[in-house]
Amino acid sequence: MLNRRSFLETIGGGFGGLAVSQMLAREATAAATERPRPEFNGGLHHPARVRRVIQLFMTGGASPMDTFDYKPELARLHGQKLGPEEKPEGFTALPGAIMKSPFAFKQYGESGRWVSSVFPHQAQEVDQMAFLMGMASKTNVHGPGTYMMNSGFLLPGFPCLGAWVSYGLGNLTDELPTFVVLPDAKGLPYNQKGPFSAGFLPAVNQGTVINASGKNPIPDLFAHPRYAFASRAADRAGFDLLHQLNTQHAAVTPQDTQLDARIRSYELAARMQLSAPEAFDLRRETASTRREYGLENATTEDFGRRCLLARRLVERGTRFVQVWSGPQGATGNWDNHGSIPKELPPIAASVDQPIATLLRDLRARGLFDDTLLIWTTEFGRTPFAQGGDGRDHNGGSFVTWLAGAGIKAGTSYGRSDDWGYQAVEGRTYCYDFHATVLHLLGIDHKRLTFRQNGIDRRLTDVHGHVVKEILA
Amino acid sequence: MKLWTVLRLNCTVALLSVAATNSLCADATTERAPAENEGGRFFATSVEPLLKSKCYGCHSHASGLMEGGLTLDSRSGWETGGDRGPAIIPGKPALSLLVKAIRRTDVDLSMPPDEPLSKAETAVLVDWIEAGAPDPRPAVPDSGHRRADMDWWSLRPLVRPPQPPETTPRAHTAHPVDAFIEHRLLLNGLSPAPRADRRTLIRRLYLDLHGLPPTPDAVVAFVNDPDPLAFEKLVDRLLESPRYGERWARHWLDTVHFADTHGCEHDVFRPHAWRYRDYVIDSLNHDTPWGRFIREQLAADRFYPSDSGLTPALGFIAAGPLELSRAGTAPITFDYLDRDDMVAQTMAAFASATANCARCHDHKFDPITQEDYYALQAVFAGVGKGDVEFDLDPDTARQRRQWTDLLAAATRGDPARLLASEHAEEVARWERDFGKQPTPWKPLVAATFVSSDGATLQRQEDQSWLASGTRPERDTYTITSSISLATLTALRLDVLADPSLPMNGPGRQDNGNLHLSEFEAYILEKDATEPVRLKIRSAVADWNQDGWTIEHAVDGNPATAWGIYPQVGKSHQAVFELDKPFQVKPGSQIQVVLKQLHGGGHLIGRPKVYATDAPDAVVDIFPESVRAALNVSRGERSDAQQVAIAAYVLQGTAKARLAALPAPQTVYAVSNTYSRATKLASPMSPKVVHVLRRGSIDKPGNVAIPGALSAITALPGRFQVDDPNDEAARRAALADWLAAPDNPLTWRSIVNRVWLYHFGTGICDTPNDFGRMGGAPSPPELLDWLAVWFRDEAQGSLKQLHRMLLLSSTWQRQSRMPLAAEGTADPSPRAVDARNRLLWRMNRRRLDAESFRDAVLQITGRLDLTIGGPGIQQFTQAKGAQATPKLDYSAFNWNDPAAARRSIYRVVWRGIADPFMESMDFPDLGLLTPQRGQSISSLQALTLYNSDFVLHHSQQLAARLSDQHDTVDAQVGEACRLIYLREPADAERTLLVDYVNMHGLAAMCRVLLNSNEFLFVE
Repeated sequence: MLNRRSFLETIGGGFGGLAVSQMLAREATAAATERPRPEFNGGLHHPARVRRVIQLFMTGGASPMDTFDYKPELARLHGQKLGPEEKPEGFTALPGAIMKSPFAFKQYGESGRWVSSVFPHQAQEVDQMAFLMGMASKTNVHGPGTYMMNSGFLLPGFPCLGAWVSYGLGNLTDELPTFVVLPDAKGLPYNQKGPFSAGFLPAVNQGTVINASGKNPIPDLFAHPRYAFASRAADRAGFDLLHQLNTQHAAVTPQDTQLDARIRSYELAARMQLSAPEAFDLRRETASTRREYGLENATTEDFGRRCLLARRLVERGTRFVQVWSGPQGATGNWDNHGSIPKELPPIAASVDQPIATLLRDLRARGLFDDTLLIWTTEFGRTPFAQGGDGRDHNGGSFVTWLAGAGIKAGTSYGRSDDWGYQAVEGRTYCYDFHATVLHLLGIDHKRLTFRQNGIDRRLTDVHGHVVKEILA
Repeated sequence: MKLWTVLRLNCTVALLSVAATNSLCADATTERAPAENEGGRFFATSVEPLLKSKCYGCHSHASGLMEGGLTLDSRSGWETGGDRGPAIIPGKPALSLLVKAIRRTDVDLSMPPDEPLSKAETAVLVDWIEAGAPDPRPAVPDSGHRRADMDWWSLRPLVRPPQPPETTPRAHTAHPVDAFIEHRLLLNGLSPAPRADRRTLIRRLYLDLHGLPPTPDAVVAFVNDPDPLAFEKLVDRLLESPRYGERWARHWLDTVHFADTHGCEHDVFRPHAWRYRDYVIDSLNHDTPWGRFIREQLAADRFYPSDSGLTPALGFIAAGPLELSRAGTAPITFDYLDRDDMVAQTMAAFASATANCARCHDHKFDPITQEDYYALQAVFAGVGKGDVEFDLDPDTARQRRQWTDLLAAATRGDPARLLASEHAEEVARWERDFGKQPTPWKPLVAATFVSSDGATLQRQEDQSWLASGTRPERDTYTITSSISLATLTALRLDVLADPSLPMNGPGRQDNGNLHLSEFEAYILEKDATEPVRLKIRSAVADWNQDGWTIEHAVDGNPATAWGIYPQVGKSHQAVFELDKPFQVKPGSQIQVVLKQLHGGGHLIGRPKVYATDAPDAVVDIFPESVRAALNVSRGERSDAQQVAIAAYVLQGTAKARLAALPAPQTVYAVSNTYSRATKLASPMSPKVVHVLRRGSIDKPGNVAIPGALSAITALPGRFQVDDPNDEAARRAALADWLAAPDNPLTWRSIVNRVWLYHFGTGICDTPNDFGRMGGAPSPPELLDWLAVWFRDEAQGSLKQLHRMLLLSSTWQRQSRMPLAAEGTADPSPRAVDARNRLLWRMNRRRLDAESFRDAVLQITGRLDLTIGGPGIQQFTQAKGAQATPKLDYSAFNWNDPAAARRSIYRVVWRGIADPFMESMDFPDLGLLTPQRGQSISSLQALTLYNSDFVLHHSQQLAARLSDQHDTVDAQVGEACRLIYLREPADAERTLLVDYVNMHGLAAMCRVLLNSNEFLFVE
């Protein structure tokens, strides 16, 4: 007698085994040969340190030398015209003179990490973080840069990190989507929904885009009230009727995987209906928690709400949550061409307290035992002024930090040059960053592949080294 | 410090390089010639074993891994190096990256990654490099296996294989498809499943060919049709319906990643892209032969120049995404990546070849060199993407070409064209009618000539007025004069040069310029209290400053004006023609107002105004050169003078004829007048394409020559293009290469695609890759047989190919998997071939996104079968932060008539997909999608259960049912007929009626539309 699991393994039934296995709670897997293994703590290839991830993404290219990458040399050279004499490929304009950071830097924590005055709250937590100080991108253009940091490729159509994780490890719960994206209330990032795409991976792995401030955060979780006939009673009875119809239909072709998977999909949908609303209900949090996440303050409200939601989701088993700061566009994000002193402080203030609170909260709740928190962006900015006191795009150097499970807190890896223009030590590309995150999840980035048009595609293409220096 | 010189803005990366497990190069790298000298022996005994044990794991062809792009299994591997450049510099260990890596002096570069080499091991490698790195392995390992590479199924010449012998006892039919498939089943000891019943067959056929289910009536008719050829006739009928093209166009649009927007950072709408979609639908419906379909899409302009209506075919090359931001800030990178998309798409779609894998290095697995890849880029070096105008009517196109050519000849003063005998008579006639009979202009003898802002205007002897004194910022002159003409047809303004003006005028500005913002004229009839404004039809000047043409003086916009800079120091004139001759009553006065509102003292220095009653007065304005030429008698004119007159006359003719033509159509396509998404003033020459080392724009190598894959020896690998500026010839040459009967890839590629869409999986299951990383065809003889048959007998007719496949027994088998019967001799196919790779039964398939939508629309009775036209936007749009708007799919009103069109006519926003369609595996059109997924998930279940689309149409269907039937019983019966194409079983009917009584008809419709019986095609 075959049990359900081995039955599904033997019978392909003419469509990929993946969708079926996705149906099987907690057993969902990447490929027939590789499944999350209990002896690896749910990892695929080696023991996993991390089981869930929250990624914070600063849209527009957060300036490193005005936040975490202290460069006193810029103050010495301030105003000198030392940059390229022609506009380099990928710059939006001819660079101006060297520009010092307009913000004061101080050292914090036992690690003595320098942080500028735009991040007073995160500065208190630097001993929890590991910094990648020599991040670099292969482009200076937002669209390709955003793709790179999410999918590892400069062009559209490739699956993002969250989709790969969903594909590789499947879900932790049936009651919530596996990969959730929380875009800024002001709009989508560069490339629209491209950075959350499942690319060529099965559609089930694409990010579920959630409107955190809307009434129906999960699209189509319930019928719109204008359809009175779709009452909750009709819903539930409808699921039962559907089950009977589908079971009768399947009786003609017993033990059929596809038919069986669709029957299961409605059972899981019904379970999600029961559980998801609670996960999205922030009123269940205490007043002090809401205040600490910044929900009472107009500046921090949107990002704070999404950070709190991210915590509730991972707590309940969502595998990967991405929280975006800033939409695409010329304003309201990290793309501070016009003026660093005018444009950076407000966007920094909108995330700083929520991020610090999220980090403390994850730690206090013990979620750091298996949760990874990531802060990143698509590229850095030039040490040269643009216009008066703005900065242009720079793929040469930027900063990413990680905190939580498996991370050696208070460390850093890599270094940019004295201007913060180019990474000169420990240069870390998206490949290395992605390889490191996958490694923590118990995945060998070289072995998580998907055959597409004759190529075994990887998130890391043909590159990638795990940055062991920041691992605990 | 020149820091930027070390900047490596490596914008182009090894984007599509390969990480795989196949080993193709092992024989070349491990079997080597014996070492011939001491260095060689040292290498063989000490160095090579070390490299093998410590490095090959990640840096060799044998392992299939080229981490960082580096291989160490050949001399060329370390010479070329990886992303960071050469790994070894012979004789210079300190400068060699490999030594840096093993010494781990740079934390950024530490190898091997896990355990460092021992001191002794490190010393071996350092010594070896110190000694000049003698490496007896073949310098270019590729050369050894390249010949072997060519021996690959997809590259072998197409030869028609014999049909399998009819030894199969089950071969009831001589159908070639069945012969191959059943022969293979026999070899595996399997029996094919029985033929599906007629109800199943007709639903399967309709959804396959039309993407729509049959109507209940059509099912009944077919089930009861006694004609033994009923199925064959049904196939023919369905192939003749325009619904066929609408369905199959979607397959091709997926394959070529067509969408209605750019995608990427600035996901901007392409309002004219739909014409390519319509072109594909139309071509399929007209069964354009495959070879011609290739030629049209790559170079319709070259192959069929007289058929201008085919221009939308060139939308093929422009189908993919466009990174607008990169075009602006990283133009060189943009050019290479934009062409990369064109190359990848063209070669995948037509030849199932992954040419783009050779962007950074020779293809690791297939005989595609980097030179081949850049040769393909050179094919597209002369075009850019943008809105291209064309004429649907070829005759209009011919005329437009004729007059545009003439206009161009007149503009450049081409004597050969202008003095050609065909134009001589027209020029002579013009001179006879106009040139020698100057219009009788009568100067207005002004009673008053007033400056509004205090300038002094003094009458001169010739009835002009000279300004002096104060020079205000702005001024308006008003001339009032009696008028003696009985009919007024035009007015003329001369602005005269004068030595008293700055730069001799004719303006009062320091630079001699003037700006006439508005020219107005009024007639004040005797005893009338209100003047009559004269309507001006057109204005012409002998000279227009760039951007400040005379039209601006009659456009009613005071912010724009006429100017004459830099032609200062000379008199100029402008003529203002009335829209119709004005009958002047005796005693009337005329008033002319010259508004000069630009500021800065741009004022007229010495104006003179004339009137005339002559018709065609406008032609009287001649450029200086023409006027001079006309003053010379005909026989004595120089060539230049003759050209000046002819150019003037013929320019006018060409402009008039062009203006009379109907407006052209537009399609988003490619042309040589676009570069980096920007329209050029004139066509560009093809750009120079370099073979980029490691795919990096910082490392340009040789200039690439247009061509294709040199591995296909039956065809020229490089194209003979006589005129390097003739970019269309490059595209045409590639089209000829692809469409050649001898091309072994093309014909296999298309028959495999068509097979895939009919059967759910291809004969080769990687439809875009027939290389070594792709699948092998199974059975290969069937693919070759069909390819040859399609090319030769069917003459590239897709409809004949459909017929061939659909009429096979293989296609008509039932999809159900029977359980093995106890005690039978036959092995259960289910046990032997659960995945049905041998096709013992038909594959069951889930409705794709479009079929589900269109089927629901049809079932609710509201499907609108209008064919073609601009796309239907099933979302609302609001302004976004930048160029990309915000779309809201949930705000779309499903009562909108646009909701009822077939899904193929939806506007597809590349970067903001419709969530409903996405949940049903509508692909990400950032990439080529030869085959869609068929996923099943709980989120998809929620979408099908609760989306607006399904709920709205459940309501509509319920309304339709209750309109038609009075009892719940009848309504349930009709719902089953519409959705399941059958009568409900008794138990089922009871179940449904009970549910309707509890929750209503709409709720039941929603359940039926979610059911497996509806969602799957058996």
